[in-house]
Amino acid sequence: MTTSGKALVVRNLTKTFETREGPVTALSDCSLEVGGNTFFTMLGPSGCGKTTTLRMIAGLETVTSGQILLDGEDFRRKNAFERNIGMVFQSYALFPHMTVFENVAYGLRLRHAPESLVRERVGETLGMLRLGGLESRHPADLSGGQQQRVSIGRALVYRPDILLLDEPLANLDAKLRVEMRDEIRRLQKALGVMALYVTHDQEEAMAISDRIAVFAKGRLMQSGAPYDIYTFPTSLFVAEFIGKANFFPVRVDNGSALALDGTRFDGLRMVETTDEDERFKDTSALMMCRPEKMWLSAAGAGDDRAFTGRARRIQFLGSFVRYLVECDQASGDVIVDLPEFAPGVAEGDLVQFGPHQDGIVFSKVAM
Amino acid sequence: MSGAYATPTRRRRSIAPWLAGGLTFFVLVAFLLYPIGTTLLNSFAPGGETFVVANATLEHFSRFWTSGQYQQALLNTVIIGLTVTIIATAVAVPAAYFVARVRMPFKPLILSLSIIPLISPPFIGAYSWVILFGRSGIVSQYLDQWFGLQMPSIYGFFGIILAMVLSNFTFVFLFVQGALTTVDPHLEESAKVMGASRARILRTVVLPLAIPPMLAGAMIVLIESLGEFGIPAILGGEIYVLSTLMYFQIHGFFNLNAASAIALVNVAITLVAIIFLLRVNRKRRFVTVGSTTRRADLQTGRGIRIVANLYVWSLLALALLPQAVVVFASFAERWPGTLWPLEYGIDNYRFVFSRVVEPMQNSLMLAAIATVACVIFGTLTGYIAERKTFPGKWALDLTIMLPFILPGIVTGVALLVTYNSGPIALTGTAAILVIAYFVRRIAYIYRSVVAAVSQVDVKMEEASTIAGAGWGTTMRKVTIPLIAPGILAGAIIVFTTLISEMSTTVILYSARWKTVSIAIYERLESQEIGAAAAIGSLTILVTLVLVIAATKVIGKSMSELFS
Repeated sequence: MTTSGKALVVRNLTKTFETREGPVTALSDCSLEVGGNTFFTMLGPSGCGKTTTLRMIAGLETVTSGQILLDGEDFRRKNAFERNIGMVFQSYALFPHMTVFENVAYGLRLRHAPESLVRERVGETLGMLRLGGLESRHPADLSGGQQQRVSIGRALVYRPDILLLDEPLANLDAKLRVEMRDEIRRLQKALGVMALYVTHDQEEAMAISDRIAVFAKGRLMQSGAPYDIYTFPTSLFVAEFIGKANFFPVRVDNGSALALDGTRFDGLRMVETTDEDERFKDTSALMMCRPEKMWLSAAGAGDDRAFTGRARRIQFLGSFVRYLVECDQASGDVIVDLPEFAPGVAEGDLVQFGPHQDGIVFSKVAM
Repeated sequence: MSGAYATPTRRRRSIAPWLAGGLTFFVLVAFLLYPIGTTLLNSFAPGGETFVVANATLEHFSRFWTSGQYQQALLNTVIIGLTVTIIATAVAVPAAYFVARVRMPFKPLILSLSIIPLISPPFIGAYSWVILFGRSGIVSQYLDQWFGLQMPSIYGFFGIILAMVLSNFTFVFLFVQGALTTVDPHLEESAKVMGASRARILRTVVLPLAIPPMLAGAMIVLIESLGEFGIPAILGGEIYVLSTLMYFQIHGFFNLNAASAIALVNVAITLVAIIFLLRVNRKRRFVTVGSTTRRADLQTGRGIRIVANLYVWSLLALALLPQAVVVFASFAERWPGTLWPLEYGIDNYRFVFSRVVEPMQNSLMLAAIATVACVIFGTLTGYIAERKTFPGKWALDLTIMLPFILPGIVTGVALLVTYNSGPIALTGTAAILVIAYFVRRIAYIYRSVVAAVSQVDVKMEEASTIAGAGWGTTMRKVTIPLIAPGILAGAIIVFTTLISEMSTTVILYSARWKTVSIAIYERLESQEIGAAAAIGSLTILVTLVLVIAATKVIGKSMSELFS
């Protein structure tokens, strides 16, 4: 298997749709770079611009402004059908009037591949996707998972430079979704093809990706490896969208964070953010702590870095125990995940809790 | 394109669909909108002149106030249109309910047979009623001999209304039957669970659901009967309607401007009727498509089954009677005003095949050319209308659908008036017939294609593009194969209805370009009933064979093709 080794560069990409109510910006000023055989995921809630970005790279949507370069070559000079990319759609979009074989062979036939090569490549691809023996079936006679495999095969058979996947697993049931995502990654690595993957499911994104780009409201918020995005979010939005997060209003004083009751937290990472957030109305800064990076115990143990609250609900979730704690020093319920039950704590009890380490303090950037 | 990084992009978009759409629009403007506009203006010009502001006159319209004949024709048209619509609806709804909801054998056959009146050639079917109920008709004579009964004259209101009801009720029948068959059974089941009796469910749930399709069918019946020419031409006797009056003005006095004025009035009352029915229907919007493919339970009671079978088969027998009489008459060699023919044989067919070949060739050829044009332009135009957004889309849509509400004879008059003289004189050519057929029928293909394309996931076309196919290749390999059944269904309707097209042809034909329907009309005029019947029978045969072949290819039933 070869490695494409090509690099995709997107610069200042902007898309504006003309609607009856006037222009609507679907994506503004998005720049990113994807190299080699990276599995790159664009993640975000619906309407965030991720699919628009993917479709502009595919050539299915016109570019309002900005650049898309593959190995320095301007993609905007090429029609969608000249870009040599593969794409997998959420609805599979298999050709219902063609057999599995003809569906997969479609791109090769368009490239005028000799019949012997078509047979070899299609056979090999169907084998890799464990679809052997289904060649003469029609899409209507396949299960959802099989249809999705065929559509992946159709996109990969002609060795595209980039594989685009637009929420390919959204129509599958939960178990199949987990199986398929591992399979997609296995194939992508085996073929060494660059993959651009769109999803709104953050867990899926974390599981499958080498790098993740988080989008919100038509902007690229942050991109990086799953670990970095989770551990070092640069905005409230990303902190909340990836994983769970607790927020405590704080005052920044001389490099430390002071909670409402004056508790001092030292040595925290300080991040300035441009987030427009309701919570910044009442406070200049927020301390963010991940639930699994917190401790909790029955009240009265006496720790000067502790908050006090009431355990409203205790959920046993198998691999960990989740405490939902009411606390007037936090915005909203505080979530604390512990590996074991905290001794002597029942629902309704007063508890004390606090961050172990490495919280992040977000302060609103002065505009 | 704007912005710092805007680069010139090479556009190699396929222009084929835009070209076709543009051309279609141009043809529609030139041969539909412009003629209609001209007609409208010329109806205000004195006879024999073209309209200029200086000579504007209401003389042609004033006849609607001064001439008894004009007033009577207008009144007749309205009375006949309304009566036919009401009776046809009243007759069709019970039949539709029975077929949809009572266990009956041969349902597909019933649905197929109900189509035949729609695809039969005009004139000859109407004339069948004369053969049966005319002064010396078969039924009239028997009634007189056995019971001393005198039939009301078949010429006049009785005959016109009878013939029109039986040739048009199918629209309401098919629409209502289709709706009642596919109603979500949960609706009736929940009514039943709440304790409603069967009669109450029928009254409060089932029949209200049948009202929108019933009104849609009734609208078509009304439009058809307001513009109908063949039946009042044969059975009118002393009674004129607007369409026959138009024909009379053109072939009697060659007064095109007077005909234009009548056409305008005809269109106006059709429009009023349509707007009224749309108003009524708009208040009743239901979503009746349920999540289940299960069908409602059929009634199996012995009594209702006897009633249903009797009713439906009697209605069908009556509706198919004219066709049967046509076939029967085609084998009558000598029928000199006697009760039954004196001799039977195939001489009529020999005569037709030796002497009336040309009209048949003409009909087939003109219909084929017009159908091919409709398929090509209707498909491409329908495709861009469904897939692309562009300014003025509504205008295209409206223009294409316009002939649906224009009586055929009005379109004929408009084309005749506009292209009778001047730089583009087309009167008397085959071209004007093909053009008339094209503008009147392209909507069938267009609508079929719009519906079919909307069923094709646009992602499928995108998948093809991404795989490396240009627009043409994607159309050829993906889109066209998927919408082919829709196109074919539309093409069959266009072709079969054009073979025996009459209301436009009767205005635009010439000595060189006579069609089957004109040939039939001429034989009837010269009392060559046998020959007329033979031509009619052959036309019915050709049409039926085509429709049946098409249903086999598409895998749709005949009735689905027409609804």
